[in-house]
Amino acid sequence: MAASISGYTFSSVCFHSANSNSDHEGFLLGEVRQEETVSISDTQISTAELLQVVEIHNHDPCAQLFSFYDYAGKVNEDNLNRILKDRRKSVIGWYRFRRNTQQQMSFREQIIHKQLTQLLGVPDLVFLLFSFISTANSSTHALEYVLFRPNRRYNQRITLTIPNLGNTSQQEYKVSSVPNTSLNYAKVIKEHGAEFFDKDGVMKDIRTIFQVYSALQDKVQAVCGEVEQSERVKEKIQEDVNKLKQQIALRKRKTAEEERRLREAQNAESHPTSEENSEPSETSLLSRVAFHAPSAPERPGTSPNPPSYSDLLSQEDSLLSSSSSPTSAALLPRPQAVGSPGHPTPGPLGMGLDRQAAGQEDDDDDDDDDDDDDEDSSEYENLVSEAAHLPMVSASVLAQGRPAALSPDGDARGSQTS
Amino acid sequence: DWLCSQTLLHAGAEREMKQLIMQRSAVHLESDAFLVCMNHALSTEKEEVMGLCIGEVEINRIVHIHSVIILRRSDKRKDRVEISPEQLSAASTEAERLADMTGKPMRVVGWYHSHPHITVWPSHVDVRTQAMYQMLDQGFVGLIFSCFIEDKNTKTGRVLYTCFQSVQAQKGSEYERVEIPVHVVPRDAIGKVCLESAVELPRILCQEEQDTYRKIHNLSHLDPITKIHNGSNRPNRPIRVLG
Repeated sequence: MAASISGYTFSSVCFHSANSNSDHEGFLLGEVRQEETVSISDTQISTAELLQVVEIHNHDPCAQLFSFYDYAGKVNEDNLNRILKDRRKSVIGWYRFRRNTQQQMSFREQIIHKQLTQLLGVPDLVFLLFSFISTANSSTHALEYVLFRPNRRYNQRITLTIPNLGNTSQQEYKVSSVPNTSLNYAKVIKEHGAEFFDKDGVMKDIRTIFQVYSALQDKVQAVCGEVEQSERVKEKIQEDVNKLKQQIALRKRKTAEEERRLREAQNAESHPTSEENSEPSETSLLSRVAFHAPSAPERPGTSPNPPSYSDLLSQEDSLLSSSSSPTSAALLPRPQAVGSPGHPTPGPLGMGLDRQAAGQEDDDDDDDDDDDDDEDSSEYENLVSEAAHLPMVSASVLAQGRPAALSPDGDARGSQTS
Repeated sequence: DWLCSQTLLHAGAEREMKQLIMQRSAVHLESDAFLVCMNHALSTEKEEVMGLCIGEVEINRIVHIHSVIILRRSDKRKDRVEISPEQLSAASTEAERLADMTGKPMRVVGWYHSHPHITVWPSHVDVRTQAMYQMLDQGFVGLIFSCFIEDKNTKTGRVLYTCFQSVQAQKGSEYERVEIPVHVVPRDAIGKVCLESAVELPRILCQEEQDTYRKIHNLSHLDPITKIHNGSNRPNRPIRVLG
């Protein structure tokens, strides 16, 4: 089986994925066709092979997770139809984008895939998994993608090509001709040449083709204008939605505060009247006190002064500056997928620093200040300190089998099969 | 002698200080500009494509890239991605237009190019080219998109991107790469400027094709059959892109 995805669809998936701060998923639209390849061998019996070609033309992104399935992984057909509408018949697969994860289908994804196969009636439904990893200092990022055929044995993987001008264009221009001095040849060419060339000596077809191109370009321009308008409308609606969300949140907070004040007022009133009712209020008061004063008797284990956030930041700062030298910023080793023919990687180092990068990725757009290197959360302090003790993995070690991760001076040629 | 060495030391320290001051702390790339870069990078695996980044620099040395301009490559040799002064000037004009449109102080803040089938790290030529741009604008940043990479063992495809600047340890020494953190900033919708840039790609390809064909067409020694071959070959590319 061979599979291809158009560059525009691929970029569009990257765009939607980059815009989401969680996982992102959607459906792949396109067609599957059979190509017959005939090969002739010495025995003169021609063998025809049927090759299935999957072409992904477009994608239908889901606005949020769990839009057509629940937490148990059960697919809701009504929701599915609502999302897909009339595009349902051109669905040939679905995709999922995740950050810092293994390149392996999760259990839920497998369950969903089985149900989708049945509901959509596509026996060879494919699954495209995108995984995003970054270096510790977020200067280099990698988007990895694997196309699975989960309904086949061993969850077969297929190479996904991206057709482009480089691998589909015809031969280059010829700049020299084979000389021919035959008189007959010259005569025939002169007779029939007029069909190809116009009076200026320019090929007639060129003008026609240029007209086709101009017409297409104008159409694209017009569509661009329409897209632009709809994007502005979408922006406006999103703004309104955000404002409304803020108002709702504000109102909820106000109501919660009022309820709390009412409850407190009621407790204050009822306290001197009955003994039985005082106990729960006392414990609630006590627990509130305990929350504010860590040295309260209920929490003997807590130290009175937990390390301050700035201490953690400065500790992490020195670690980062020592570990990020210009030449050894290799792509971080991935945690090895179980059962996948990957390469052995130092697991803890990879996992820890990968998640650190994820923290930076997700939080970055929220605070537009300059501590990009510092904003890693204190949750990962343990992983960072663990990483500091491990030897820095050099780029060349990772390079084996990973053409993209060579050191700066090397060139890797990992070519796409075409 | 001591004075000389002290002066040199001071000059070195001053240079280092200047480099550190102008070195960007991070690059924020708007997701719609990222979309255009990806589209452009994925348009061909035969050669490197390039473009310029337009945006603004914030007080805290963060470069915010709002849009990109696709450039025509005058020299299509591998690993030669130099921008002509005319292109830079045209890009500056475009930046001014964007500044008027968005009301923000936009200017050319960096460049990007693609590495099809090649590692994402900048080559020596790239680092030197980047250093050259930094002579005009010390805060200039470089982005590289590596694509059409496949790990045959795991059938995993990869697209990578990195951000860098160049530094020189001492006067006369080799330029070295400095990594700059880069983050793609989410956007609710695609901006007008990025849509326009995306549509520019087929137009630029058509222009490139026309120029190439014109040169070929002017070769008078070509046999008519060869001319017919060239003529049928020529104009398909822009149409294919539009398709």
